Amino acid sequence: MQKAQVQLEFCLISDSVIHTPFRINETDSLTKFKFYISHIEIKGKNKYVSEKEHHLVDFHKNKHTSRVIKLNNVDPSDLLEIEFLLGIDSKTCNDGVGEGALDPIHGMYWTWQSGYINFKMEGVSKNSSAKKNRFQLHLGGFRKPYSSTQKVNLTLEKESSKIQLCFDVNKFISVIDFNNQHTIMSPSKESVRLAKIAQSCFYVN
Amino acid sequence: MSIKNLFLFGGTLLVFSFYWLDCFHQSPKYYIPKPNYKLPVNPEQNDTVQLGRMLFYDNILSANNEVSCASCHNSYNAFAHTDHDLSHGIYDSIGNRNAPALFNLAWQKEFMWDGAIHHIEAQALAPLHDSRELGSSIEELLIKLRSSSFYRNEFFKVYGDSLINSKRVLQSLSSFELSLISFNSKYDRVKQQKEVFTKQEKQGYLLFQNHCNRCHTEPLFSNFEYLDNGLTVDPFLQDFGRFLITNVEKDKYKFKVPSLRNISYTYPYMHDGRFLKLNEVLDHYEGFQKINQGRIINLEKPIKLSFNERADLISFLFTLNDEHFVFNQNHAFPNRLKEELIKD
Repeated sequence: MQKAQVQLEFCLISDSVIHTPFRINETDSLTKFKFYISHIEIKGKNKYVSEKEHHLVDFHKNKHTSRVIKLNNVDPSDLLEIEFLLGIDSKTCNDGVGEGALDPIHGMYWTWQSGYINFKMEGVSKNSSAKKNRFQLHLGGFRKPYSSTQKVNLTLEKESSKIQLCFDVNKFISVIDFNNQHTIMSPSKESVRLAKIAQSCFYVN
Repeated sequence: MSIKNLFLFGGTLLVFSFYWLDCFHQSPKYYIPKPNYKLPVNPEQNDTVQLGRMLFYDNILSANNEVSCASCHNSYNAFAHTDHDLSHGIYDSIGNRNAPALFNLAWQKEFMWDGAIHHIEAQALAPLHDSRELGSSIEELLIKLRSSSFYRNEFFKVYGDSLINSKRVLQSLSSFELSLISFNSKYDRVKQQKEVFTKQEKQGYLLFQNHCNRCHTEPLFSNFEYLDNGLTVDPFLQDFGRFLITNVEKDKYKFKVPSLRNISYTYPYMHDGRFLKLNEVLDHYEGFQKINQGRIINLEKPIKLSFNERADLISFLFTLNDEHFVFNQNHAFPNRLKEELIKD
């Protein structure tokens, strides 16, 4: 079978163009939304992995450099499921400070307590009781019991060299009580709960 | 097994045992365990260490170019901030903790009083970004370093190109920090059988082993665990230690056990520098039980010592001072940076 390149594209709504701020609905919008994706594995009869282990997906940056991940030498007719980590694995965290996607200049590294922020979402919601109706959700941490790194596993139903992986922002936003929970900036029970919800918001378009 | 093989096996064993004995004698510090981080080789001639040393002493790390790492970590105080209970950073802002001494860091796994930092390379990011310490950021620092021809040159010397990125900055700083090794106190010389304790020091050593060694474990003089030693919470600071990092209730009131090496240089004592004198520390360990009921304090019982026993214990503790380390000019302000600053 012909080996080809398969392109993964992370998106919020199919074919959406992301504006700053990205409007979710009449009253809510996102000013920042980025997360780490690690150890991508596409499985069929064979197993395909991406060359780079860690990717920073940023919805407010250029699509081609920050939301599209290419996998080479893949047989597009042999794709059954895709698996990846939402966040950075604890081994990588324990190795110290990284380069490239893992460089702390991306604002995805905590400095007051070390470790990567796996998932960062900031914006405005009418329900938020914070100043200017803002909300800031920084989900991270790799130490037990509050490790927020989650494994995402999705079934691939059609044969294609382009796979769109979407994050359902509406679903994610709808479960959060912004009145009581507008700011999360450290590992806790709540950050783990929200990370698990984020895990369930991915789907293949 | 044939006779030939038996000879071969025996011979190999013999060679190895000689080799082992040789290693044992060549390294007089065999009582020191293996470090957790790789020690930089030949630090005085090591370009990465020397680059880190310049960064450590350079005010360029602070937002207003007025304070450096060395402002709170003075080489003449074993890199602690002597005479300040809480350390102060940029714009005279006062922090929440007493700046810890810096030595033998390669034998620690985690850093800061609460173990907030899990890797030595990540450590510098904390003071760099703290608004009460250096008040800057890695992004800002990289811009400043990249626009300095002096540092472009220095990075070129170390890395063979003038690229200045986070990894290189953090790596050079940590390699300087890892080069700060202090195993040249009287205690070490006694261990190496080069000197002997006085009678009083010997009595103090026995008291130390009975009362202190469980947490301030030889030969590093800390087990580097997070423990509750019964200190009351300062109502102004409201500092709950390790709990602030783990969010786990049982970690409340716990702080990392500090090393007792270089004890004379690193006063005041405790995470908030509340005790100026060793006698105040000993007073606390004698009377802590009265003040904190309901807490699981990691001390079996109060340490009750007579006046003479206290004097003996303190005389032993003084044998942990390493004056060679404290006055080592290879750790002090680097000449190359001095020349560069005068030039401007």
